[in-house]
Amino acid sequence: MAESPYWNPRHETMPREDLEALQVRKLRNLVEWADAAVPWQSKRLRDAGVTADSVDSLDHLRRIPFLTREEWMQGQVEHPPYGPILAAEPARAIRYHMTSGTTGKTPIRVLDSMKDWEWIAEMWCYGLWGFGVRPADTLFVAFGYSKFIGFWGLHYAGEKLGCLVLPGGAMTTDQRVKEIVEMGATVVASTPTYALRMAQEARSLGIDLAGSAVQRVILSGEPAGSIPATKALIEEQWGAKAGDTAGMTELGTIMIFECAEQPGGTHIIEDHYIEEVVDPVTDEPVPYGEMGERVVTSFGRGFIPVLRYRTRDFVVRVPGSSCPCGRTFDIYDGGIRGRVDDMKLVRGTNVYPRAVEALVREHPEVDEFQIHLYTADGIRDEIEVLIEVPDQSVDADALCRQLAKELTDAHESLRFGVRAVELESLPRFELKAKRVTDDRIVIGTEDERRS
Amino acid sequence: MENLAGTELSEAEAKLVDVYRELHRIVDMCADELPPFALRNATKALSSLWQVMNGLDMDPGQLYDLGA
Repeated sequence: MAESPYWNPRHETMPREDLEALQVRKLRNLVEWADAAVPWQSKRLRDAGVTADSVDSLDHLRRIPFLTREEWMQGQVEHPPYGPILAAEPARAIRYHMTSGTTGKTPIRVLDSMKDWEWIAEMWCYGLWGFGVRPADTLFVAFGYSKFIGFWGLHYAGEKLGCLVLPGGAMTTDQRVKEIVEMGATVVASTPTYALRMAQEARSLGIDLAGSAVQRVILSGEPAGSIPATKALIEEQWGAKAGDTAGMTELGTIMIFECAEQPGGTHIIEDHYIEEVVDPVTDEPVPYGEMGERVVTSFGRGFIPVLRYRTRDFVVRVPGSSCPCGRTFDIYDGGIRGRVDDMKLVRGTNVYPRAVEALVREHPEVDEFQIHLYTADGIRDEIEVLIEVPDQSVDADALCRQLAKELTDAHESLRFGVRAVELESLPRFELKAKRVTDDRIVIGTEDERRS
Repeated sequence: MENLAGTELSEAEAKLVDVYRELHRIVDMCADELPPFALRNATKALSSLWQVMNGLDMDPGQLYDLGA
């Protein structure tokens, strides 16, 4: 049999009506399992009048109440340490992980069994295989292996595929770059921010990364993996194709991946998830092509049944047929567009860090940047972007003026300050970047005053 | 053999389904007769084959009571 470009050809190319029938059947099984094994879930379902027998179309999904991160965290407070969400005894688990805490809140704690971990890797296999990774590849994982789930699943997926996997934990950036080159890695996995950081380190070491054996960079952990300018920069600096993926600790693994055709978005693994896109205010579904919040239902992780979890991620869903790869799985055009929580209100204008990054990355002269919000004169909020420009032949003042104009034009004439700062003065990141500092005491038109 | 979507499985796929079912039966029914190395490796194999069952639309359920 000729090698398939799909990890699961039958499912990935399934007609949409068959895919929907599969999802309905799996949803029914999931409701039955959650009802039987998790009393807390059972009460929620039964209060909403939902039983497994009553689920016979995807429309019935909407009768199931949303699960929010706040509920999950509150459950952990009331029933420490995991909350009332486990479907099996903790003794059945083989691994503990927690969220990275990017949002500054109490971390979500999760457990998984042996079978669940095989499934977690299975989801990454969809992404790796779909982007062209094969058993002959050497996969370097630039990740500090820890309780943050990050690339753990990718590591096991690489082993499952038969790749030679190089675990890049507990290494400095220069050690990682040198090993990638010396070991002839053909695939590298990292966050977008760290991919750029490694490229920067390679330059300072005099290493020609674009001339190395690396052919593919697998990105995850930040929306930047689908920002065209950031991605183009990574591809240029690595001399390799960059493919975006996105996952979350609450699911244990990825739920979307970019295929080898690089359609400018990420396919949803729809045989293992139901993804809804809703208006974050009205909760009503939004049609193809419109931005809304992701709501996910996962069929794979039985230890923690996840039904209609509100992710706070912004996405724009388009039909799978918009990609020439042949998959029928729908696509999030532009990947994860940002998070509901990320939005900053500055003098009445919405500012999304991703949109700022998209403009900053149009200028490859900028090595690193930070978005800084502050209160001026005790009454007015201001936004500025701090940039590092290492090339001394670049006119940094002119670059600042140009970038400020572009940012202002893209934000309803909101005034942006842009300042060039001392080299290496801005923080660097290995995992998820934190490029927004909000020092305001008065916030926008909300008139919220911080003490 | 058909899966739950009514699709005919290939001969090789059907054999894997049979292997999973037999392995499941052994881990479930004969655990006490197996030494640790045999039981735990069989359980690990069952976890892997579960993915095959799932991917073939055979709705394999959960394995937590078997330690997987």
